[in-house]
Amino acid sequence: MQNFISEQNLNVLLEQLIKSGKRVVAPRVNSGTPLYEPLSASGEMDLKELPRRSAKEAFFPVCEDILSYEKVGLNVKLSDVDPARFPETVLVGVRPCDAAAIPVLDAVFSWDYKDQFYLERRRKTTIVGLACTSSDDACFCSGVGLSPSTTKGSDLFLTPLEGGGYVCETYSQKGEDLVSNYKELFVDTTSAKPLPLAEVRTETFDLKKVKAWLDNNFENSYWDGIAISCVGCGACAFVCPACHCFDIVDEGAEKKGQRRKSWDACGFWKFTHHASGHNPRDLQPKRYRNRIMHKFKYYDDKFSQTLCTGCGRCIRVCPVGIDIATIVEEISHK
Amino acid sequence: MNNHAALDTSIYTAVTEAIRVEAQRILSEGQVTAVIGYAASRRKGSARPVIATDAVAADKLIFTAACVNNLAVYLTKAKKDIHKGGKIGIVVKGCDLKALIGLMGESQLKREDLYLIGVPCSGVLGSTMQPATELTTATIAPKCCECDVHQPTGCDFIPSVTVPSTPQLEGKYSAEIARLEALTPAERWSYWKEQFAKCIKCYACRQVCPFCFCEQCLCDRNKPQMVDSTPRPSGNTAWHIVRAMHLAGRCAGCAECERVCPMDIPLNLLNRKMAKELKELYDYESGLEVLEKGPLNSFAEKDDQSFIK
Amino acid sequence: MDNRTQQDFEPKIIAFVCTWCTYAGADLAGTSRMQYPSNVRVLKFPCTGRIDPVFILKAFQQGADGVLVSGCHPGDCHYIAGNFHARRRFAAFRKLLEFIGVDLNRLQFSWVSAAEGGKWVEVVTDLTEKVRTMGPMVEFKELALEEQWSGAIDTPELKEAYNAI
Repeated sequence: MQNFISEQNLNVLLEQLIKSGKRVVAPRVNSGTPLYEPLSASGEMDLKELPRRSAKEAFFPVCEDILSYEKVGLNVKLSDVDPARFPETVLVGVRPCDAAAIPVLDAVFSWDYKDQFYLERRRKTTIVGLACTSSDDACFCSGVGLSPSTTKGSDLFLTPLEGGGYVCETYSQKGEDLVSNYKELFVDTTSAKPLPLAEVRTETFDLKKVKAWLDNNFENSYWDGIAISCVGCGACAFVCPACHCFDIVDEGAEKKGQRRKSWDACGFWKFTHHASGHNPRDLQPKRYRNRIMHKFKYYDDKFSQTLCTGCGRCIRVCPVGIDIATIVEEISHK
Repeated sequence: MNNHAALDTSIYTAVTEAIRVEAQRILSEGQVTAVIGYAASRRKGSARPVIATDAVAADKLIFTAACVNNLAVYLTKAKKDIHKGGKIGIVVKGCDLKALIGLMGESQLKREDLYLIGVPCSGVLGSTMQPATELTTATIAPKCCECDVHQPTGCDFIPSVTVPSTPQLEGKYSAEIARLEALTPAERWSYWKEQFAKCIKCYACRQVCPFCFCEQCLCDRNKPQMVDSTPRPSGNTAWHIVRAMHLAGRCAGCAECERVCPMDIPLNLLNRKMAKELKELYDYESGLEVLEKGPLNSFAEKDDQSFIK
Repeated sequence: MDNRTQQDFEPKIIAFVCTWCTYAGADLAGTSRMQYPSNVRVLKFPCTGRIDPVFILKAFQQGADGVLVSGCHPGDCHYIAGNFHARRRFAAFRKLLEFIGVDLNRLQFSWVSAAEGGKWVEVVTDLTEKVRTMGPMVEFKELALEEQWSGAIDTPELKEAYNAI
C-alpha cells in the first residue's frame, strides 16, 4: 500500500505517538554525536547523518539487566526481569543498512534458544525505514546485495520527496496498523518527485566466491597481513548493525546485585580467554579472522545469510583504518 | 561559510619521498627488519599503519594529514606479536616521539633497538572518519594547535624540509579546561556524566594508547572486580577516572584516545588537565628527554602537603 | 533517591589507614577510652602506598558519604617512602576527582602516628561533622541507577534493590 506524508505531519505523528505513551526512537544528536535515541519531542529528530551506532540496540541493548539476586538468610532470592515491562516502541528513520540487519539478527536470536529479551522487544517495535540519500566512500551496501532503497526489515518505509515529505509504503501488518491508526495524517497522492537516492559503489562482491575461499583458508598467511595493525578494540563490533555477541556478568556486592548482559566483541583478547589461562585466539590476526569468518562464512553456513549490510561504520571508526570492504574484495579475487 | 583557513601541507610530498628513500635504504642494507609507517588505503585520502618488511612495501609509505596514528603503540608489550626482535624502523611525528621517549623511560623500549624516522609535521586531522577532509584551522587535531614539536629532534633520520610557520591557533584544550574549572562541582559532574554515559566500553581509547601496555588491564580483572565491566554510566565513569589516573604523569599527549573514540568523548581533556596539574605541582612535563622516573613514581621530601591534615 | 532526612542522616565514613601508624593511633584512642563518631569504618592496609585511588572510587560507589586516607607522618614510613609516594598520588587524584565534579570536602587525608590517638579523634570527628552538614553523597549512587537508554526498563524490584545500597 502506498501513501504520502508531509514533513509536518510526520512530526505530528511522532508527537502523537509520544503522547500515546509509545517510546519513539529516532536519530538525534547527543552532544555532537548522532545516535538512535528516544525522543522527547519530534523536533529532536535529525535525519541528516547516519547515526554512529546502529539501530540494533533497540532490541539488543548495550547493556541490560537479566535478573537481580539477593541473599536472604541461607537462601538466595532471584527476581527475573519481566519482559512485559519492555516499552512499546516505534523506531523511526532507520537507514536501509540498519533495518536490513534486523531480520538477519532475528535468525540467531530465535534459533535453538529463543532469546525472550530480544524477541519481546522485537515484537513490540514497529520499524519505520528511510530511503538513504547520502553516502560516502565507506558505504558498500550495494556490495553485499542491498541498496539505498532496500525495504528489508522495515514495517513502513519512507522515501524522501523533493521539497519535503515522504512516500510511505507498508510491508507488514505492523506498518499497516501504524498508517491506519493515524490515517488522517496521510494523503493518497502527491505531485512531488522522490529525492535522488545515495550514490553507491558500482562493484558488487561475489559473496559465493568469498565464502568458497573462506571455506578452505582458515589457515592462511593472508590473515597475518591484514590484521597485524589491528589494536584489538571493540569499536568495529559495537557500531556494527549485525554483530551480536554478548557477555553476561554479575555486578554488585556479595549480598545483592544484578546479572547483566552487555555487548562483547571478538576483537578483544579477553573474548576467548579461558579460565585455565589458555587463549585459543592468542594473536590478533586469529581474532580478526573470526570477525570475517563469522560474517561471511559461519553465519552463511548456519542461516544462509551474510552478517554484514555494508553500512561502512566499522571502516569509519576503526582506529587503524582497517577496511572490511577492501578485505572482502581481495578475498573475492583470490 | 566560517573563516576556516586552509593549512599548508605542501611539505608532505617531500616528506613522503624522503621516508620512502630512507626506508628502502635501511631495509635493503639490513639495518632494520621492518619499518612501521603509513600507507594509503582504499578510501580517498586515507592512510593506515603498515609494517613494511621489504623495499617494495617501503615504496608505498606515505605521509599526509591523514597519518594520525601514533605508531609507538606497535612497539609496546601489548602488541608483542609485531616486535619480534631485531632493530625496527618507525615513522614518528613529534608527538609520537614523546610517547616513545616515555616508553624508554619506563624501560619498555631501548633506543638502540629503534631506527627513528622523524617527520617534520605541520599538523594532522582531528578525525579520520572522512579521511579526504582538507586540513584547515577547523579540521586540524586540537593537539596540533598546542604542539611544540612540529620539528622532532634526536632521530636517526629527519627529512630536510622546513615546516612552514603555522598560523597562531587557539589552544582548545586550555580554553576548555579553564571553562570547566570555572564551573561548580555539580556542573562539572553533569558535564562528565553526559559524556561518560555515551561510552560503550569498546576500549578503543585503551587499545591505541602506547602507555596502556599492561598485559592484563585492571579493568579486565574480576578477582577483585575493581571497576564494573558493563557499559553503564556507573562503570563507565569509574573506567575513565581510572584511565586518566593511570596515565597521569605518563601521557605524552598524542590524543589518540580522543581521536579514536567512536562516541566523541573528549578524553584528552582529562589527560591535559592531569598534565597541567603535574606541571604545577611537580614541574613535570612530557618531553624529548628520557627520564628515569616520572612524577608519580618519584617524590621529594618538600612536596606540597597542604591538603593533608 | 535518598529519603534519609538531614536529622536522621548518619554519614558513612570509610577510613583507609596504614597498619603501622594510623591504625595503631586509632587503637590507642580506643584503649584510652576516647570518644569518636562510630560513623567511621576502618580498613587496614600495610601502608598508604598500598592504597589505590580505585579503592576510594569503590567506596563512594558502594555508598560512602566521606572517605579518609591516613598514614604515617613523612619520614616515619615503615617502608621508608611509601607515604611520600602516596602523597604525590593523592595530590594528583584529588585534582582529577575535583575536575570530574566530586566535592573534595568529602575526601580527607591525614598523617596520624601511633601516639596520636587524640589527633585521630579530631580528624574523624571533623570529617564526620563536615559530611553530616553536607548531607548524603548521592552522585555515584544515582549513577548506579542509570542505564543506557536501550537497557532501561521500569522495574520497581530493581529500583528497590539499588536503593538499598
